[in-house]
Amino acid sequence: MCVVTPMFRAEWVKLGRPRFFFGTLAAIVAVAALGAVLTMLSVGHKDYDGVPVTAAAVAAPDGVMQGLEAVSILLGVTALAVTAAVIGGDFTHGTLRNQLIAYPYRLRLLAGKCLALAAFVTVLVAAATVVAAAASFALAPVTGVGTGAWYSTAGLVEIGKGYLNVLAASLGYATIGVLVGVVFRSPAAAVSVGLAYALPLEMLVSRIWSPAAAWLPARLMDTFAAGAHGYHIAYSTAGIRILVFCVAAALVAAGLFKHRDMTS
Amino acid sequence: MTAETPARPPRMRIRSRRQTRTDLPQPPPDAAIWSQGLTKQYGARRSVDRLSLHVPTGALSGFVGPNGAGKTTTLRMLLGLIRPSEGHGFVLGHPIGDPAAYLPRVGAMIEGPTFHPGLTGRANLLLLARLRRLGPERVTETLDSVGLTTRADDRFSTYSLGMKQRLGIAAALLPNPELLILDEPTNGLDPAGIREIRSLLKDLAAARMTVFVSSHLLSEVEQICDHLVMIRAGRLLFQGHVTDLLAAEEPRLVLTPEHSGDAERLAALLRDHGLRVDPPQGSSIGSVSVHAPEAVAANLNKIAMKAGITLRALTAYRPTLEETFLVATGGIDGDLIPRSRSSPDASLDAAVAASTDASVAASVGFRISGIPAPDMPGCAS
Repeated sequence: MCVVTPMFRAEWVKLGRPRFFFGTLAAIVAVAALGAVLTMLSVGHKDYDGVPVTAAAVAAPDGVMQGLEAVSILLGVTALAVTAAVIGGDFTHGTLRNQLIAYPYRLRLLAGKCLALAAFVTVLVAAATVVAAAASFALAPVTGVGTGAWYSTAGLVEIGKGYLNVLAASLGYATIGVLVGVVFRSPAAAVSVGLAYALPLEMLVSRIWSPAAAWLPARLMDTFAAGAHGYHIAYSTAGIRILVFCVAAALVAAGLFKHRDMTS
Repeated sequence: MTAETPARPPRMRIRSRRQTRTDLPQPPPDAAIWSQGLTKQYGARRSVDRLSLHVPTGALSGFVGPNGAGKTTTLRMLLGLIRPSEGHGFVLGHPIGDPAAYLPRVGAMIEGPTFHPGLTGRANLLLLARLRRLGPERVTETLDSVGLTTRADDRFSTYSLGMKQRLGIAAALLPNPELLILDEPTNGLDPAGIREIRSLLKDLAAARMTVFVSSHLLSEVEQICDHLVMIRAGRLLFQGHVTDLLAAEEPRLVLTPEHSGDAERLAALLRDHGLRVDPPQGSSIGSVSVHAPEAVAANLNKIAMKAGITLRALTAYRPTLEETFLVATGGIDGDLIPRSRSSPDASLDAAVAASTDASVAASVGFRISGIPAPDMPGCAS
């Protein structure tokens, strides 16, 4: 048995409670369905940047995942909020004290929590992918989009790639959530600071000084979720930078979690 | 690297670490909890100040002190949740710097029952049981032992305060611990609930479990504990057996003349016989309290009769733990709240306490307000 398995299973007692699990799942599924529906309905119109959305472009092998990629930022934000709330909540409720008395290996406890949260995010993104793809397939005939390429091997590969890209980006957001959860030790503070950083702050900075987008973690995650299509930064470069940011965030969170006094 | 510069620094570092280990003081073999100079400093404030504890194995020990005395901070250090600024501590023979070595054998509820409000009582315990690699059957057993079986599947947020306390105790009992540490376990409980907890703690101690229970209620501790650790302002006031503390306080006889006007004359008479008489106070006006054992009661009655004073009552009286503590600390009532804040006749009490501080401090081995009594066992150093 893996050393973090008990911590993983313990965390799932919280994550698996029906109200929380199905509530979050429903929100994610709704967002994914919305993304797919709006993408299909935009065929024949122009998108946010004024680029025409053609049936031919959407019918390409990667067209089936355009709906999911369009809302990847919302999936990421959900992952950030969930992880920040869960980790911060353990501090606020005082439940972390009990957990550390029951299992005093702090880093293993945090690793178990993170793995459980990663599994939770993985399930959410998988559900979102299934719903987005299903909605795209269902609406394609209505909007005159051919689905032949989607059924091809290339189409299936694109679905897999799209899932992994969005999952990686969501896990990146979740890492920010873990960091702010450990730093602020309160769900309200962690979620609000995390969201304020990932959304308005980074967006403002990158709009004022566009080269910053190639270095800001949340912007890089959005780039990665879209497979870097239409961005100025290469897919692999974005991936490496995200990895570096995530490792740094994980190290800071682990250091604080291990060494900080566990006060009320 | 040259031949003159071998790889010595790493080896020296290892030796230095080993040296540190061997430099650690060793706790006595009978100590479940032991510390030496344990200190926790937050900025300029010392929450715990050179605390040296010795809680024997198998004791049902009370950890008492006013709110803010440093009880919870001490417990946090003992449980490895916070690091001491100075000093050493050992729990079940292992240093507190290595909590993984002893926490599997320790159950604790600290700073109240803290659980996830959205989970049921059973799920909250299951979470902790999984961390301790225990099965769901152990969860059922502990829920049963605290009488929560019927509400086990209700959400924690719907529990009354008493039920929350019982769930906290159930969580502490999960590992069937050798040492149970409870922080104010009777807070918020009704009288029946308090009796249940008392009975449970006594049963656990009878089964050779060491129980260390903090409280700010001396009367509570007196009823259940056989061993006591008293702290104030982070410092140790007393530790030892409750009976030692009570025995150290002199027994008294209270003489009540038939006519209350004779009380003053009787007091003077007894003083003339070399007896120590307490000054009259509050409800005791009309009676005379004299420091003497029950064996001399008949003689005192004769003295009063010879002086023409008829006694309506003559009763032997042994102070409670609360009163002993009050006298010794001078200004703390039974809830361990400074009297100046809680009692309207604080000045009278302070005067009474001041008149007796030194003698009682010497007799029970306290160190209060700079009055050391170094020869007594249990005395804080």
